[in-house]
Amino acid sequence: MKHFIITVAASSLALLSGHAVAQAPSDAQIASIVVTANQVDIDAGKLAESKGSNAEVKAFGKQMVTDHSGVNKQAVALVTKLKVTPEDNATSKSLKAGGVDNVRNLEKLSGAAFDKAYVDHEVAYHEQVLDAIDKTLIPSAQNAELKSLLVSVRPAFVAHLEHAKMLQATFAKKS
Amino acid sequence: MRPAMTAGLVALAGSSVLGVALVTTPGSAVADPAQTHRVTIQGLLYVPETLSVRPGDTVVWTNNDPFPHTVTAAGAFDSGPIAPGKSWRFTARKTGTYPYLCTLHTTMKGTLKIE
Repeated sequence: MKHFIITVAASSLALLSGHAVAQAPSDAQIASIVVTANQVDIDAGKLAESKGSNAEVKAFGKQMVTDHSGVNKQAVALVTKLKVTPEDNATSKSLKAGGVDNVRNLEKLSGAAFDKAYVDHEVAYHEQVLDAIDKTLIPSAQNAELKSLLVSVRPAFVAHLEHAKMLQATFAKKS
Repeated sequence: MRPAMTAGLVALAGSSVLGVALVTTPGSAVADPAQTHRVTIQGLLYVPETLSVRPGDTVVWTNNDPFPHTVTAAGAFDSGPIAPGKSWRFTARKTGTYPYLCTLHTTMKGTLKIE
């Protein structure tokens, strides 16, 4: 199950990297990718907040909802100001589908198995999103403010990744 | 009587202005009045990362990120979550070097020196 979920996340974002090689995403497409990437993590976080069994996992899920909602609010305000309409694309669609699959799989789990699967997915997801931010989104963004938004939120993804890895290490010690 | 009193008051006012000027002269041995220092939180960084203040000074941290942060030095001070756009103020008392972090994003680190 774990491998399946991680594979889905990895393949969504691998598509993003592959897509970049073929054709750099436009600002409208980047906007859609950013909003979708945040939303996917908000949805998983909401589930962890309600279904997580470990208090730290629940708190992490709650923080993912808060942080990624904050980033999305800022992203939506910026694209509204820039009069950019987020444009669906293969990457954003794939991210969305991967998110739906992740939630569907997590819903079948409970207790420690849920906690572990959620945290493992968060580690893989944040690693892949960071890779996409660095290799595709920041280099492709044309508008300076959009680029600056990506640069300013990047450290949040790094902090989330470190936090998720710390939780993962705690679970590894217990098992 | 009245004009003389006015003149006396003016003289007094003048001397207190002079007094203030003496106290605030840079490098003066007389203790500076308490100051307010500002730290901006943006892009998961405390700016400035290290700040030196004197006992009695106030430090105001303002969160310019779109999500909450904390300013936490274990056993010394803890802001709790500072919402986006909000500030937290702390009055420095006991001298020492206080490394602090954001408990929500532990990659964020700063230092407050009270000396």
